[in-house]
Amino acid sequence: MVNLTIDGKQVAVEKDATIYDAAKACGIKIPILCHDKKLHPFGGCRMCLVEVEQMKGRLIPACTTPVTEGMIVQTTTDEIVKARKLVLELLLLKHPIDCPVCDAAGDCDLQNLTYEYKVNMNRFVDEKFNHEIDYENPLIERDMNRCIHCGKCARICDEIVSYGAYTFINRGIEAKMGTEFDGPLNCEFCGSCVSVCPVGALNSRPFKFKARWWALQKTKSVCSYCGTGCQLTLGSKDGKVLTTIYDENQGFHNGQLCTRGRFGYQFVNSEKRLTAPLVRKNGKLQEATWEEALAEVTSRLSAGKSDPASVAALATARLTNEELFLFEKLFRGTVGTDNIDHSAGYAHEALTKGALASFGVAASPAEIADIQKSSQLLVVKSDAYETHPVIGFEINLGVKRKGVALRIVSDKKGKLTRLPGAKTTVHAPGSEVALFNALCKSVIDQGLAAEGVAGLDALKAAVADASAEKAGVTAEEIAAIAKEFASAEKGLIILPIGLGYPGHNAALANAAANLAILTGQVGKEGAGLLIMGEKNNSQGAVDMGIYPKATGLNAQGIIDGCTSGNIKTLFVAGENPVVSYPNRKKVEKALENVEFMVVSDLFLTETAALADVVLPACSFAEKSGTFTSLGRRVQNVRKAIPAIGLAKSDFEILNALSQSLGGARYNNQGEVFTEIAATVPAYKGLTQAGLKDEGAVYPVAVAAKLVPAAAKSAAPAAGKLALVTGSALYHCGTMSRFGEGPMYVCPDAYAELNVADAAALKIVEGDQVTVTSGTGAVLVAAKVGKRVPQGVVFSPYHFGEGSVNTITDGSEVTYVTVAKK
Amino acid sequence: MSNAPAEEIPAEEIDLTEANEVIDKYLTLPGNLMPVLQGIQEAYGYVPKPTIDLVAERLNVYPSQIYGVLTFYAQFHLKPRGRYIIRVCVGTACHVQGAERITETFFGRLGIGHAETTEDLRYTFEKVACLGACGMAPLAMVNDDTFGKMTVQKVDEIIETYNARPMK
Repeated sequence: MVNLTIDGKQVAVEKDATIYDAAKACGIKIPILCHDKKLHPFGGCRMCLVEVEQMKGRLIPACTTPVTEGMIVQTTTDEIVKARKLVLELLLLKHPIDCPVCDAAGDCDLQNLTYEYKVNMNRFVDEKFNHEIDYENPLIERDMNRCIHCGKCARICDEIVSYGAYTFINRGIEAKMGTEFDGPLNCEFCGSCVSVCPVGALNSRPFKFKARWWALQKTKSVCSYCGTGCQLTLGSKDGKVLTTIYDENQGFHNGQLCTRGRFGYQFVNSEKRLTAPLVRKNGKLQEATWEEALAEVTSRLSAGKSDPASVAALATARLTNEELFLFEKLFRGTVGTDNIDHSAGYAHEALTKGALASFGVAASPAEIADIQKSSQLLVVKSDAYETHPVIGFEINLGVKRKGVALRIVSDKKGKLTRLPGAKTTVHAPGSEVALFNALCKSVIDQGLAAEGVAGLDALKAAVADASAEKAGVTAEEIAAIAKEFASAEKGLIILPIGLGYPGHNAALANAAANLAILTGQVGKEGAGLLIMGEKNNSQGAVDMGIYPKATGLNAQGIIDGCTSGNIKTLFVAGENPVVSYPNRKKVEKALENVEFMVVSDLFLTETAALADVVLPACSFAEKSGTFTSLGRRVQNVRKAIPAIGLAKSDFEILNALSQSLGGARYNNQGEVFTEIAATVPAYKGLTQAGLKDEGAVYPVAVAAKLVPAAAKSAAPAAGKLALVTGSALYHCGTMSRFGEGPMYVCPDAYAELNVADAAALKIVEGDQVTVTSGTGAVLVAAKVGKRVPQGVVFSPYHFGEGSVNTITDGSEVTYVTVAKK
Repeated sequence: MSNAPAEEIPAEEIDLTEANEVIDKYLTLPGNLMPVLQGIQEAYGYVPKPTIDLVAERLNVYPSQIYGVLTFYAQFHLKPRGRYIIRVCVGTACHVQGAERITETFFGRLGIGHAETTEDLRYTFEKVACLGACGMAPLAMVNDDTFGKMTVQKVDEIIETYNARPMK
């Protein structure tokens, strides 16, 4: 610790702190424009100048000067104020005073400092800049006339996002923040640059001219897209969510968001939202009252009570814990059916079966904070970045700042591949389990297995015939990966799961867990296995028991039951099986066949359109409750706006049904959480109030066990391409289709091909291609690149039109033919 | 199904062999971006766009950063340069000796302005601040040849001389 005096206050700080950090630690605010706590010090703006007794004669920038023992610092003297005023005057020389029409007004550091330092005149005169404003993309407006050259956009895009869209171009007075060849911005549109821009040079276009910043009501909540559990602040006005507001102190990610979180909120106030219940009359869905709709559902469910096996229920993992708890209680308890599931099983079996068998808990032993504490990451699928972009930022930071070694095993290359020192192993599609088995075998063969691991002999026997060849990787590479992971001080495996990854199931979780257990990487900080659920409350859905526990049918069984007629009543809360479950035709047929289907959703989805009763539900912005993120963090979701139209939250719907069916009745969702804390062991002792803003990570007691996993042998079909599905960076599930942001950037389904395959098939970027498999064919646009290896096609699954589930059947890899239309 | 051949995407077609050789030479050198770009400029006379993408790919540097470096240093050129670079000094000494008339005459004769290149890629014209030979003001240089005590007549002589020189 280093001791110093700032404005007469004694303070002791770490030796790598700067004067700025030290001042902040003792509550003294030094003005900054170019500094950001998440970024490396830059020292460009000269607003943070201070006086240091030991360095008299010049003013010292606080943000770049490290503290030394006995330093005496003054942060506000006449000379300093004069210098800061000069800095502001010089900035205002070029910066246009167009605050009345600038969306940053009120949230503008330059405006606030100008006010604070009373810079009401300028001794200098100069022309303003005359740069053309970049309106080329629909999300980020770049008005470089307002830029003050703090360089934060370029730094955050490089240091955290690792995209590198921005740079300083030219020099001297002509210098400006620009892009490659000074062209329009063409990036992944995470909007990090917008969030850190201290002025209005970078603006969110969807928010442009929507509201003054100070008129917004600010509500802290949790993003409702992927399982990362990023906290966000919703800016709302007149019952509409108008923007997300950046707060650098929110969450483990310091307010950092991806394109979905920042620009995908428009689904909340979409014009396509359902505003009244619909009941099918004479074969057509027609508006009805809540009483009518609920009465119909109640009568069906109450009839179903006498034959519970004929009732089934599917829920989305987007609901709150409270809603899911109520859902479980209603169907498993009151109605008495075990036919309950979510996300087709693909998004949870790695946890509910895999992790449960290997670790004794249906949750990841590791948490998000472990990523940066690790020393060796083994990332399954390059697009761990695409499913969970903010986890991608954590990986970037770990690799670049903490020197974490990174190994990617994937069926294609991705952005993580380009990180410094990253090693990528491209394996045969669908061979993940075989790969992990080969790694386990190699660990044992090299004598690297940790001592005293139970069940070693059984595993040895199970992986005896595992080989590198089966994974399409060389034996040397397998040996190298096994060695680097086994000898790492702290090795962490990151495994994304979800509807897009049918192969990421229990067997893969077991296989990955085996490697972690075998190498002694479980039970340590910064090590183990992190299974990343797809949706915002995937972990919560598992914790609340939304999966068949005894004899009940899982999602596949429920779909089959609908086809056979065994399931007569199906309750679907927010799921969209028609688009997201494999084999679309089969699912559609099943849902058309089922006697009675009720769907509660925000939109009239492809599934809701087939229902007999459609109940308009509330989005996350219209309700309170809790979500549990993939790192087992339980966080508060807070209501920002009133319900849209006549919509009711799933809590209200389920509560009403529960009451009319003779089940429990709650006064508010908070009561449900109290019951959760009392009945779900992991949540013991938690209270919503106690979660505060930061949430709480519930602990898990891991009892690690080696569980042999059988690798399926997928014989490649001659002359066909291997289709692998997954998530597009801009989307999550099927809900992001109703967000303007994601839809602007990535509006349609596509099939991504290798350049060599594309050349052979005479396909160029943008061509419409027909992708045909055994179960059907879809027409999508082609993308051509080097990301996917030869022989592989990648397609994201989110879209209703040309939905990839038309051609998939739930196996790891679907063999397809691709032809130009 | 259309039988028409795939449409050619118009792109700057250049041979990347030399650029690859330059990159190979410096691949393991720390801080290799500058020598690589200088080597490429020496090989091609300027830094063509495809080579920027190549350097970005092979050195794992963002293309935007390379562009930033290229626009920061005056030594780099993003457009093809003439075979003969005419530089006319407009520094203080040359200015008072009438450098402006010299530059104007070049502009008129060549039909190009400052930092521009003739269509046949024979000449690039540049006004420069000082060439360090004020005693010979006004001064002009063509590549490494120096022409002191410039006059309007001499401009025509220079252009005639270099029009007769080979392009390669």
